Amino acid sequence: MQTVKMVISGAVNAGKTEFIKTISEIEVVSTERPATDDTRLIKKETTVAMDFGRIAIGDDLVLHLFGTPGQKRFDFMWEILSEGMLGLVILVDSTRPETFRETNRIIDFFMSYRETPYVVAANKQDRPNAWSPEELRLALRLPSHIKVLPCMATDRESVKNVLLELLDVIMQRSED
Amino acid sequence: MPLVGNIRDFGLSDFLYLVDRGYKTGCLHLSRADEMSSLYFDKGKLITATRKDDNVPVTDLLVRKGKLTAVQAAQAAQAHQSQNGVTLSQVLINLDLIGRDELQRVLQQHIEESVYALFSWNEGEFRFEQGQRPDPTAPIMPTPLAVEHLIMEGVRRIDEWGRIKDRIPNTDMVVKFIEQPIERTKGINLAADEWRVFARINGKDTLAEIARKTGMSEFDVCRIVYGFLTAGLVDVIRKPAPVPMLATGRPLAEAPRVKKSLVTRIINRIRGM
Ligand SMILES: Nc1nc2c(ncn2[C@@H]2O[C@H](COP(=O)(O)OP(=O)(O)OP(=O)(O)O)[C@@H](O)[C@H]2O)c(=O)[nH]1
Ligand SMILES: [Mg+2]
Repeated sequence: MQTVKMVISGAVNAGKTEFIKTISEIEVVSTERPATDDTRLIKKETTVAMDFGRIAIGDDLVLHLFGTPGQKRFDFMWEILSEGMLGLVILVDSTRPETFRETNRIIDFFMSYRETPYVVAANKQDRPNAWSPEELRLALRLPSHIKVLPCMATDRESVKNVLLELLDVIMQRSED
Repeated sequence: MPLVGNIRDFGLSDFLYLVDRGYKTGCLHLSRADEMSSLYFDKGKLITATRKDDNVPVTDLLVRKGKLTAVQAAQAAQAHQSQNGVTLSQVLINLDLIGRDELQRVLQQHIEESVYALFSWNEGEFRFEQGQRPDPTAPIMPTPLAVEHLIMEGVRRIDEWGRIKDRIPNTDMVVKFIEQPIERTKGINLAADEWRVFARINGKDTLAEIARKTGMSEFDVCRIVYGFLTAGLVDVIRKPAPVPMLATGRPLAEAPRVKKSLVTRIINRIRGM
């Protein structure tokens, strides 16, 4: 049985747990705990370790989805995540510009290890004050070859689309 | 939809960059306590700026600055009333009450000063209303102003590390040009020190090395590069690190290549979900 991984990362409250719940075939193994410190001002529960979801591709292949925890740094997770990691989804809460800098730090963190294929998902596009994907691209100063996709983590088709776009990037780097 | 936020988290220079690169038309309203300013943009360029406590027609401003008499101001206002879709600034030029260059000079100086004052705000709510246009009587410049120019000047006024650190965490970062910087610098007047730094950017030297080679302080080099960065001229990247090692002793560099057939299987599976 071969296992491949995708990592779902982003700042606190971006929608990582929601994203994985929407697409996973198993009940998401989440580690929600009452939030401490500043996070408590935004939400009651935050992910303290990792979210874990799973999609069986066939008898011999399974895709694991890992969501990074929101509150603390996650250097420690790199070794766990990097083995067999196909790509990365960076989720952004498009309604909260105060998280854009943190988002850049997270992208930098992953890229400092390795040029991992990634896409940016402009989440919560259903909210009235959401910044559009193009505005987010400028706000985060993402190079033009990086895809910035509209996303609603609560909507299965939208989550599927983000994963398929990421797979498209991965495909371009794959070999025969 | 308006874009809202606080400049504590998303700075004025970041916003100006977004307006520039996004060719935005609309108004950026900034407020803190009882102060309120509005910057109006047309296709990414600044056309005017107003303050709540100084929201006067262009004619009043010019009278105050001794560039126009009260009689001329009234004449222009009268002529403007019968014209649709024309700014009062344009009427002043058409009636030859003031030369175009002179009007530009006076308004630009006035508007630049109000924008520069905004760079000192550490916090304040912002709201960008797309498509919103200024009142036609506002002090609208005949020639819109490129925002890179404003960003550079605004950054020249930064005198603390705090904001710089956010984009330039340390002086071991390497500076490199993006796209065609020469094209973009046309709208910017670089000062001598800025040219010295500009000329040293080669995609290899770190900020610390540039400071050493120019004999300038690291703070000055970082502040100047921060300006270039904010104006979208350069990028600051981490110096390529020695390949990190996994605990297993294996080097971690190239992303492992996966087989196309495997990716195709995953794609088909997700499509079918
Ligand atoms: N309207 C809307 N709400 C969303 C969307 N995605 C997530 N949310 C909500 O945003 C909040 C945060 O979502 P989570 O999935 O807990 O975010 P997270 O990234 O896992 O948060 P941490 O683990 O604390 O970092 C929850 O209330 C979600 O229901 C979306 O697309 N639209
Ligand atoms: Mg979570």
